[in-house]
Amino acid sequence: MLPGRARQSGWQGASLVAITYIYFLIFAQFAFLKRLASLGWADDHLKAVMAAMAIGGMLFSLLTARLNLWPSPNLRLRAGLLASGAAALLSLLQLGLVASFGVSFLIGAGLGLLTVTLVTHLRQWTGGRHALLLVGLGTGIGYFVCNLPPFFTAPPEVQTSVAGLLCFAGIGITLLPAPAKLEAAQIAQLRAPSFLRVLVCFAALVWLDSAAFFIIQGNPALKAGTWQGEVHLWANGLLHLLAALASAWLLRRRGLIFVLSAAFLMLGIACLLLLHPSRVLFASIFYPIGVSLYSVALVAYPSLLSPASSAGQRGRQAGWIYATAGWGGSAMGIGMGQNLGHVPPAFVIAAGAVVLIPGLFTALRWRARELALTALVALASFCLYRLVPSANTSAQQSQLERGRQVYISEGCIHCHSQYVRPNTADVLMWGPAETIQDVRLQKPPLIGNRRQGPDLSQVGARRSSFWLKAHFIDPAEVSGASIMPSFDFLFRDGRGDDLVAYLASLHGAGTLKRQEEEAHWHPTAAALAQASFDDGERLFRRYCATCHSAGGRTRWQAGFKRFPPDLTVGPFLHLQPSESNAERMDRLAQIAKFGIPATDMPGHEYLSDKDIASISLWLSQNIRQPIHNQ
Amino acid sequence: MEGFMNPYTLDESERYTPRVIAGTAWHSLLWLVIANSVGVLIAILLLFPGLNKFLGEWTYGRWVMVHMNLELYGWTALPLVGFLFKTYGSDRGPMADWCRPVLWVWSTALTAGAFSWLSGHSSGKLFLDWSGYARVLFPAALFVLWLLLLVSLIRSRNRAENASLAAWATKLLGLAILLAVPFLIYAAAGLNRYPPVNPDTGGPTGTSQLESSLAIVAILLMLPFGIARRKAGHSKAIAAAWVVLVAESLLCASLTRADISHHLVTQYVSLGSLLVWLPLTPVYYGAFQWHNNSRPWRIALLWWWAALIVTGWVFFLPGVLDHFKFTDGLVGHSFIAMAGFTSSFIIFVMVELLGDGGWIFNRARSFYLWHGSVIAYILLMTIAGWREGFDPTFTIVPGLARNCIYALRLLSGVLMLIASIDWFLDASTLLLEPVLSSNSAQTRREKTA
Repeated sequence: MLPGRARQSGWQGASLVAITYIYFLIFAQFAFLKRLASLGWADDHLKAVMAAMAIGGMLFSLLTARLNLWPSPNLRLRAGLLASGAAALLSLLQLGLVASFGVSFLIGAGLGLLTVTLVTHLRQWTGGRHALLLVGLGTGIGYFVCNLPPFFTAPPEVQTSVAGLLCFAGIGITLLPAPAKLEAAQIAQLRAPSFLRVLVCFAALVWLDSAAFFIIQGNPALKAGTWQGEVHLWANGLLHLLAALASAWLLRRRGLIFVLSAAFLMLGIACLLLLHPSRVLFASIFYPIGVSLYSVALVAYPSLLSPASSAGQRGRQAGWIYATAGWGGSAMGIGMGQNLGHVPPAFVIAAGAVVLIPGLFTALRWRARELALTALVALASFCLYRLVPSANTSAQQSQLERGRQVYISEGCIHCHSQYVRPNTADVLMWGPAETIQDVRLQKPPLIGNRRQGPDLSQVGARRSSFWLKAHFIDPAEVSGASIMPSFDFLFRDGRGDDLVAYLASLHGAGTLKRQEEEAHWHPTAAALAQASFDDGERLFRRYCATCHSAGGRTRWQAGFKRFPPDLTVGPFLHLQPSESNAERMDRLAQIAKFGIPATDMPGHEYLSDKDIASISLWLSQNIRQPIHNQ
Repeated sequence: MEGFMNPYTLDESERYTPRVIAGTAWHSLLWLVIANSVGVLIAILLLFPGLNKFLGEWTYGRWVMVHMNLELYGWTALPLVGFLFKTYGSDRGPMADWCRPVLWVWSTALTAGAFSWLSGHSSGKLFLDWSGYARVLFPAALFVLWLLLLVSLIRSRNRAENASLAAWATKLLGLAILLAVPFLIYAAAGLNRYPPVNPDTGGPTGTSQLESSLAIVAILLMLPFGIARRKAGHSKAIAAAWVVLVAESLLCASLTRADISHHLVTQYVSLGSLLVWLPLTPVYYGAFQWHNNSRPWRIALLWWWAALIVTGWVFFLPGVLDHFKFTDGLVGHSFIAMAGFTSSFIIFVMVELLGDGGWIFNRARSFYLWHGSVIAYILLMTIAGWREGFDPTFTIVPGLARNCIYALRLLSGVLMLIASIDWFLDASTLLLEPVLSSNSAQTRREKTA
């Protein structure tokens, strides 16, 4: 027997909501589809079997409130749970087509009976004290459990069995003593919009949700960016849980329409982001939040927030919502996903009109002054902006000017400085230093304030255009340790070439003098003494093999000015056969540190002398002797 | 100056509208939550750069612009807008109805700015990234605010707090200065103006830093006249502070505006003159009566101010600046300025303006969460900057130590975000409450007395 406090907490209600969601999400929407596929049902057969589920769901959603066979809510709920659990276990059998129809219909019917009964009498199991919070908690836990990586990636048979067994556990929960009598007045104070408006809003949201779900499921790139991999699944689960709790809080504080509007904004943005697979990460954040926001409302509205005067009316409203908005909206969304493969922006706008316009009318009425002033200022600013001639349009700019603008637009200054501090270690790495007069000629100077990467004020003297372009396209592949994002999108139009031209132009009058200084640079004696053969090999594989390995050469072969030599073969144009071993190590160190001018060979200026000495030590003992120079 | 900008001498027929200040706090906190969320995103991207590929064109560099500008123009600027509402009487009588529209315009301009930065429009100047349409819209929002203040001042000509010529003239002078701000921001975002450069670092000169610091000192000294009442018998402390400010301003005016190095003695000695504010500021603030709710934030403000002055000077010294320039060490220092001092300062202002409603900032959990996270963040960045000063590859070629520090930095960022969400939720609650108290002026007067 449960202690009194636990019994009064209403955990039974939260558990039943969670069980229902787990059953629907992981089994009815997911594992059962896989099961049908494994049974060989596809195309029209599959659609027909799923249609049987929708028919069962709609029929029993509408009939449940009118059924007089089991007047006791407990009995009715047990029947729903029993039917659902049995259907899940039956689906594990080797079903023929007719049996599949039957089981599918039973899933829908069981869900219809279960969901409508549960929400109609939910207070019976949640109690009245924290009913909204318990609905949020139950919904959030339901989604969270479904996204647990071991469960989400389990075989369909396991998911099906768990869903079925949970239904039987739910029957056990209904056998326990219910919480104390409800305190309905607490929630009844909330304002509720008209039922028709709520119904239409839910239909639009379910439609968007189902379409987005189907589209993600059918597109490997989108799927990879949303719910593949443990990190994604944990993140999704937590987002669902937090959003569900937030939804419960918002329903209490801001009301139903606020929550539905927020859910629409999240889902609408997710659908628009899914149009561009490169932005799927953002979609994977907005989508679960939107889904959980409205999913809590889907339970809370008919059970707690509706102004229905009797349980019968509440049940009929729930039936209409689940039959039309739930099953109907879901079918429409899946149809859209199947036939179009995306959610058209026009549909998102139309759905937004349905969900938001009534609220906008209210806002217009109550916030007329705010909207009018904002619109006025925005319009006046736009006119002013159009009137003031811009200094230089991109069509009039040179390639270097356009490239500089790309540098600014991408926020490069937040990782790269363009200022070599005189008389510091900067000079050896990235010099020579410019004069203040040179800096002031730039409009505006792009000095930067933080270095996450090297200084670029003389990058044109250190890197070839080809290297720059290759690095922009795939930084990590060109420079083993690079943390720079890929900017390959810039090369879909002319921006990338403009940027490369700009960077290649960044070198001052001191370049020749600088090259003389590089030729006179040597690793310190201490660095040579500390050099390690093993470190040299490791560093070579990280920084040099990107071009000097067979794979690296193949990847970029079309662009190299000169093919990077296989260091075990040669030839080596920049080593002399007459050099002693010490001289060769010195020369190799200079090349590793500063690269080779006028070639694609870059330097590694930022590496310590010890690392450079280690690379040169390893190279000197592994490359072919330069006797074969050509 | 007794009646100047003093809310306790209000004409009772024109009541406060507490929702104006509460609304200002709500907008400000909304931008804090958004900016901190973006901050967490960029901390994640620094730790897991591979995630950039999921962001399309909205890569790291564009998000940094959004983060920095929203912190400045949203979080830190809007509470001062609330201060202006209060000072010019916009939160009273019929003008109060126009405060929320002005806030909407401001937030709309910030939204437009955020989208323009994400879309790749920027001037390339830190904290002045306004470009294209947003470069016009944001100054327009400032101008609309100015119009509201002007009309409010005209309508309040006969109120008790404006009775003296000095009060009236001071407010007019303030308006004249404020009128220049939209035009200055528009011009400063242009390509042809750039402040003096320290040739040894590429950063600001000592003179520039002294100028901007004195502007902050001036705000610190002016602020109490707008929101607090002077204690009897503390006139000397107040007068001394203003005399020192004038003296330092003269010193600053005598310094060159050329591109000169921090190695020059005059540069770091003159910047060191700010150390005089270590004892002077607490004494000055002790000369005013403050609402009980603001005490923790006033203490925090004064500690952060002291930390900012000391570290600001130390980080400018020859040898120190040369070590830390372009490293995370200066990111840590800027955190003392923004997350430590400025945030404490504006929360202190908001608590004073909200009075009894200031409870939203005084939950112990969010107070300690914020300050603890900020301190942790600063320590982490200082350690990283210390290492980086010796070896630039510490950041450029990430290793285990750098990644551990950045992971802890991400954690502290998440904690700061949680604290800001806590404040924001409470501010939302405050807005939904029935009017705080329609005659809260009376309540405040009683409580303060």
